Amino acid sequence: MTEALLKLENIARNFGAIQALRGVDLEVGRGEVVALLGDNGAGKSTLVKIIAGGLQPSSGRMIFEGMERSFASPAEAKAAGIETVYQDLSLCTNVDVVANFFMGREIVKKYFGIPVLQEAAMYSAVEKAMANAGTRIPSLRTNVEHLSGGQRQAIELNRFVHWGGKLVLLDEPFAALGVEQTRRGLDTVRRIADQGIGVVIITHIMAQAFQVADRIVVIRQGVVAGNVRAAETSPDEVVRMITGEALRSPAQETRLNGRSP
Amino acid sequence: MITPRQRAVVEFVLDNLVWFILAFVLAIFSLAIPNFAQPGIFINIIEQSTFVGVMAIGLAIVIIAGNMDLSVESVAGLTAMITGILFCSRGIGIGLTMTPEWLVLPVSLGIALMVGGIIGSINGWLVVKLKMSAFIVTLASYIWVRGMVDAISGGRSAQDLTPALRIMGIETFLSIPLIAWVAILCFVVFTFIMAKTPFGRHITMIGGNPVASFRAGIKVDRLIIITFILSGAIAGVAGWLLAIRTSGATANLGIGMLFRAFAAVVIGGVSLKGGIGQLPGVYAGVLLLSTIQTAMNVMALPVHYTQMILGALVLAALLLDTVKLAIRQKLA
Repeated sequence: MTEALLKLENIARNFGAIQALRGVDLEVGRGEVVALLGDNGAGKSTLVKIIAGGLQPSSGRMIFEGMERSFASPAEAKAAGIETVYQDLSLCTNVDVVANFFMGREIVKKYFGIPVLQEAAMYSAVEKAMANAGTRIPSLRTNVEHLSGGQRQAIELNRFVHWGGKLVLLDEPFAALGVEQTRRGLDTVRRIADQGIGVVIITHIMAQAFQVADRIVVIRQGVVAGNVRAAETSPDEVVRMITGEALRSPAQETRLNGRSP
Repeated sequence: MITPRQRAVVEFVLDNLVWFILAFVLAIFSLAIPNFAQPGIFINIIEQSTFVGVMAIGLAIVIIAGNMDLSVESVAGLTAMITGILFCSRGIGIGLTMTPEWLVLPVSLGIALMVGGIIGSINGWLVVKLKMSAFIVTLASYIWVRGMVDAISGGRSAQDLTPALRIMGIETFLSIPLIAWVAILCFVVFTFIMAKTPFGRHITMIGGNPVASFRAGIKVDRLIIITFILSGAIAGVAGWLLAIRTSGATANLGIGMLFRAFAAVVIGGVSLKGGIGQLPGVYAGVLLLSTIQTAMNVMALPVHYTQMILGALVLAALLLDTVKLAIRQKLA
């Protein structure tokens, strides 16, 4: 395998006396979908925030595209090509698909110093990007508010790819979607990955993880409790990793110690 | 399932609904009211729409950005009074003159823009930097700016505006007074800005979802302050036009216009939620109000009926908005 897109080495993060992450090693390859599983409070969200620049690690190294990086803010991570896609936090539903695609980066042409939007150019760019990704939307001139959750997600992901995104982090992306929408969402994730994008997806739903992920990583009490290829494991095994039945003592002992005053 | 062509037609009608209503109302009045259908009446409607129309532009932009500006009426009152005091020769006017004479035109307009812009920037600063509610901040401005009008005028009035300015209110082009052309020009310019420039696009997006706009790298705070400055400056122009039209200024000039501007904005299809609305619709809303007002004048109905109809019209506009939304959702 070639060099990983993202490599985390011994990442730790404290919140005061509480150790949220206690030395996490993780690799995400180009075009690889990694499902991040774990119980509530296991440290998944903290880990994802560190990758996206929302939090800084207390210690450890983060290597992205072969270079050691540390992101002071989500904007820095975004500039490098790492972004978290939150449902409904990154689309303006009152404007059309094209406007959303080019949000803040509109194609303009200056007439007498006045920037004027180039709608036709933007339209064809979006049309092309959507076609490449195999996303079907009735009309790119429809306001996003009239589109389904799955279509919105597809817009967000295609936009991410179009603007040079390399690693996308999805936190419970299908929580609010129906069965059919979820299936399409999973398809979109797969297609995004097939274009060489790394995908980290947090989910609680085992079936989704197995449907879409190449690799399943289980976080438990701030460490990686399992890192297996999806094809080589079973839901039961993953559940045991999450609850800690498979690898017992050190983790649980720490928890007990942590609770005593 | 409908064809794209049918969809386009329906969308077009929905987008321009208030224009169709205006045409309908004009047709009804022309048929039902004797002496209504004549050029003088229509010109009068356009002229009457000048002040509320200009004011409504700034108000609409602030509302589209997801905020509120209640101060526009008082700002117009203030710039009218300042224009009156500086360039009137009677009353409290100090009768400032310039050589060449026409220079008062750009200078007085510049002062009006500046005064309005300053008050707008105070509003914007308080809303953005101190995170105060736009409603409260501009309500306060509505009160203190009107107080300032009383303070600088001592409750008295200025009359006899310098002829170089009055010419704007007297002269016509294609039978329509120049001041009305100023309003039309303002609508054309700001319609272009809102629809065709990144600035307008970003304002609309901020009104729809400020968090997403911010995450996309749009300078939300800066743009919101600019909308308030614009709204103040445009209200300043409305006041300047008012002073020209009345050839002076009184301390209560412009009172009541806020609600008419507000009604026009809502009737014109701007949503108070922010992010929705187009300026041509707002102009149609203003024209619609003036049409009804003029019709009532022609029929010699008492003024308070206008007020009742205005209120009913605002409610009808909101109802219509829900109907439009329902149709749109069916389309999608």
